[in-house]
Amino acid sequence: MIPETAMLLQEGAPILNDAGAAAIAVGLSALAAGYAERGIGSAAIGAIAEDDDLFVNGLILTVIPETLVILVLVVVFLVLFI
Amino acid sequence: MSVYTGSKRSRGNPEYVVARVRSRRSMLYDESDYRKLVRMGTGEIARFMEDSEYEAEMNALGTRFAGVDLIEYAIERNLAKHFEDILGWSEGRIYDFVARYLRKFDAWNVKTVIRGIYSGADAESIETDLIRAGEIDEETLAQLTGADSIERVVEILADTIYGPPLEAAYEDYERTDLLVPLENAVDRAFYEALIEDLPAKSSANRPTELYIEFLETEIDFRNLRNAIRVAHDASTIDPTEYAIAGGRLFDVDDLTRLGEDREALIDHVRESSYGTRIETALGHLESGDRIEFENALDAALLEQADRLSNRYPVSVCPILAYILAKEREVENIRAIARGREAGMSDAEIERRVIL
Repeated sequence: MIPETAMLLQEGAPILNDAGAAAIAVGLSALAAGYAERGIGSAAIGAIAEDDDLFVNGLILTVIPETLVILVLVVVFLVLFI
Repeated sequence: MSVYTGSKRSRGNPEYVVARVRSRRSMLYDESDYRKLVRMGTGEIARFMEDSEYEAEMNALGTRFAGVDLIEYAIERNLAKHFEDILGWSEGRIYDFVARYLRKFDAWNVKTVIRGIYSGADAESIETDLIRAGEIDEETLAQLTGADSIERVVEILADTIYGPPLEAAYEDYERTDLLVPLENAVDRAFYEALIEDLPAKSSANRPTELYIEFLETEIDFRNLRNAIRVAHDASTIDPTEYAIAGGRLFDVDDLTRLGEDREALIDHVRESSYGTRIETALGHLESGDRIEFENALDAALLEQADRLSNRYPVSVCPILAYILAKEREVENIRAIARGREAGMSDAEIERRVIL
């Protein structure tokens, strides 16, 4: 074990501080958004391949899961700075 | 061609294929287009098609053919193009499912070749009737059209799934000089390969289950149609010879029992799970209208495919629904063009159009 972590554990401090927890939250939400975008993106590309006019619609639908990450960013700001 | 091997294959890319297919589906002719087409002469139909989906084919073939020939070659080429596209886009399990279903055209091609040779048609006219959308490659197709006897066709196909059943049926053919055993063998080989080593319905996931359900419906309807035909012709053909395994509606005993008795057959179907869905078709059957009955059955199958694809949009079902709808369109256009050429009345032609 890394010496500092071992020390922290001995002192009874949490293994994850606020910044670390926030980082994990952002990472997980980004992963979820990416997974959701995988399906939407491939459907959007399929639709655009058939009809160019659908480009804007496809783009908008594809980035909608990004809101997950934005929501988490809000939570992160609330936790860290308020 | 790969065969379904359970969970080992990737789930494929249904989202992509379904998005493209749905977009193409919206380009199919709708009811108002058909209403116009029914009232057109062959020249007008050709011009109408040139302004729509079929533009590329019409332009490519326009210099070589005219009239009904032009229309037929254009729609068949277009059909093959679309189905090849779908196969090109598909990956993993979706590819397997689509490819299995598209072997239908192999069966069609084999039957066309056999019929052609039987009726003494020349290679060129057989070739124009082929639909190049299946698994059999161009080279084999060329060999098939060049074959001079049915025996030779059976030899060429020896390595395919149609080989052994055709060989077995060939003896029957030699004895009776009827094509029925051969055509039947091809159909059965196709349907057997269609449901071969699919996972059991209980252990399959939802999309696979729907796929199996659709195939079962198709097989049931095919069996029903055959049973009615046999009953209608009151021939000496044993109905069980025609039965295709894998459906839910009939088993072999049912067919033997019901083959003779039309009323009992209709009752049996009405009591099955299909009862309400094909009520219209059964109504037509009772009033003795077989063309309407078969049309209504086709329409019911398409409806079933649509229902399945609404219930599970991200699966193979919308793709199958599109394949069916496209086939229907091609059949409709052909019926209209041929009907027009044969001098049928508008009402008569309209009756043959399936919506």
